[in-house]
Amino acid sequence: MFTWLSGPGAAFRQPLPGSTNYLSAYDPAGRLIRATQKTRPKGPESEDDIEIDTETPSPEKNTQGEKPIPKETLDDLMPFPMNRQFRSEPVLSEELKDEIFRQWKEEGKTVRRISADMQVEMRRVGAVLRLKSVEEEWKNQGKPLATPYARSILSMLPVTRYAPQVPITAHESINDLPVHTSTLRQVFHPVSESRRFTRTDAGRVFDPTLLPADERIPHPELIDAYRDIGKSPEDRAVAQQQREKKEADIKEAKRRIWAEEEERRVTKVETERWEFRFRDVSVEDAGRDGRGRNGVGARYGMPHEDRKKGIVKIPRRVE
Amino acid sequence: MRAKRFHGLKKIKLRQTWSKYNLYNLSRVTAPNIKERTYYQQKWSAKSITRAYHGEAVREKKWQRMFRPYIRSVVPMNHTYLAETDGSDEAAGRGSGKDVQKAARTPPRTPYMNMVYAELERRLDTAVFRAMFASSARQAREFVIHGYVKVNGKKMIYPGYRLNPGDMFQVEPDRVLFATGAPKDRQERRASRVYRSKMSAKDKEDPDTPSQSLSTPTKNTSSTDPPEPKEPKNILPQLLDHAKNILSKPSDDLTAKRKQSLRAFQLTLKRTLSRPNSLTDSIDAQLQEMAHKLNISLPASTTEPDAYDSPAPTPSRDNNLAKTMAISDSEKRLLKRALIDARENPIDPSKPYATPWRPREYMSAFAFIPRYLEVHHKVCSAVYLRHPVARPGMAEVPTPYNIEQNGLAFNWYLRRR
Repeated sequence: MFTWLSGPGAAFRQPLPGSTNYLSAYDPAGRLIRATQKTRPKGPESEDDIEIDTETPSPEKNTQGEKPIPKETLDDLMPFPMNRQFRSEPVLSEELKDEIFRQWKEEGKTVRRISADMQVEMRRVGAVLRLKSVEEEWKNQGKPLATPYARSILSMLPVTRYAPQVPITAHESINDLPVHTSTLRQVFHPVSESRRFTRTDAGRVFDPTLLPADERIPHPELIDAYRDIGKSPEDRAVAQQQREKKEADIKEAKRRIWAEEEERRVTKVETERWEFRFRDVSVEDAGRDGRGRNGVGARYGMPHEDRKKGIVKIPRRVE
Repeated sequence: MRAKRFHGLKKIKLRQTWSKYNLYNLSRVTAPNIKERTYYQQKWSAKSITRAYHGEAVREKKWQRMFRPYIRSVVPMNHTYLAETDGSDEAAGRGSGKDVQKAARTPPRTPYMNMVYAELERRLDTAVFRAMFASSARQAREFVIHGYVKVNGKKMIYPGYRLNPGDMFQVEPDRVLFATGAPKDRQERRASRVYRSKMSAKDKEDPDTPSQSLSTPTKNTSSTDPPEPKEPKNILPQLLDHAKNILSKPSDDLTAKRKQSLRAFQLTLKRTLSRPNSLTDSIDAQLQEMAHKLNISLPASTTEPDAYDSPAPTPSRDNNLAKTMAISDSEKRLLKRALIDARENPIDPSKPYATPWRPREYMSAFAFIPRYLEVHHKVCSAVYLRHPVARPGMAEVPTPYNIEQNGLAFNWYLRRR
């Protein structure tokens, strides 16, 4: 082992400056494959639609007069040599996170809009905003940040860069359609040849309630925006605003209905000291075996299961 | 019976660690030979080797209850395609689209089988390890049990807590720096022993004032809180000595750039020390003064990485000192970096890791962040965005074994008991 560590394994002791440093990027003799090859044959990976934008080694980074190391290909980004289906994917750079936070804070853009503009998944945008707020809070409190750690970690990972003038690199696919369980089976459904059988019809065959992909993707508004492409910029902006307003209205209406329902369900009794709130419950909620999740209160003759084997005894969620 | 080795070299078991033993095993591991073995034997060995990596601290029965045969997957959709067609062309002809001359490129297959251990990735200790806050899953587990990990701002002491999508977890930065930083060498350990004995002697002298470092164990990485704020004069010689120490050792740990910056830093310190009048109240002010004299804009204590990467500003005309010292732009940039480093990453013998902080050895070979996590390393916090999914050509569960082994393990757990 120590022969390997001092021989081919010596390359892994310290990070490779300005690049990732995975096992799959080296040959058994410990040479960096992409540095030894003069012209890399174009593999099928280069045609892949997944864009990998890794840190480009600048000439400054190799001061010892060597040629800069070529950019990593997908083959160099496999931390586990045996598992070719797992790659180290780029993470957001600090500049990109700052830009996302700025657009939200200063321009007041919605998460949906930022996600479509920056090509970052909506949940990720939300997480970035949350984490950046934590950072701001720490700065205000004067709590020290782990900056050297963050910097060195980012130098070891593939990173999606951001620069204001440069066109945006897609960080990830933002319109991921989750595979629905009911579509996992194969269906033979005879249809007459003259019928126009669309995606919506196909969805109904799998499950009568299954919506078509157009409505199930995270960014259905992009489809409408694409259909507006022939129109003038003003019209498109108006249409975009209308769509956003419509979405906001629907959201607001849903919230209002929910609040009204809640108001109706709770009876409030004002006394001098307290406001009592009564909510109707049904005995039937406990179900036939008395263990229904919505059941209220302890039941005589029905022991708790919380000490039984196989029952989760630790918190399931933290609010 | 003797306890089994965690990193054995005879029978390879890959583990969730950044250890060099694990790296060596990873470099030479091959798929087990499945010829002349029954299907049961194949499944057994596949389950055995994959479980040694995935949740080896989780009991088998517990994992069997956790296992779900349902595999989450997604298909990336193209909105332009959805806008242009309603899908009827794919059902045209005899039901599978009209015959075309050019065969459409088949998308890569979705590696469903690599998702066997997706449920284990939900565990808090695994997620802490995957976010690169700990050097092994066991260490991550220890951090959770010892109360250094918070979930949604509340302390969570159960390593088996299964994260829900949207949960934020935070680890104490000092612990993270300890876990991911290089360990102290002999000289540094000695320096910290000396430091500790000094501090305890000080405590004995005046027991009324609590020791600065002991009372504030969480403060770190910023020289705005120097360990001895009352004696700033002592800090500069200390820094100088330490820089000398580091440079004198024939070690290949330091990069050339780092050495250069250290030398530049040494130089400035020497110059400052030679002028006793210039010593001001705090080390921070001194750094600011040095920066000012060299006409380098030193950012505020909350330094941005942009400031670190951006080139130093050009000197103004009326600054005579900078001219007389004849410092070139590149030197200036180095010095500026050294100054920022000294502020963010100071030498502090009270820390349990080598200071200034540097990553531990063999870490880069294991460095990756899976997509289902969004990690902000500056504040040692991360968000569990969603459950890991399989997509065409890629499974998000980080597993060192190939699809055949994972498939066999999946079939092992599928069986009815």
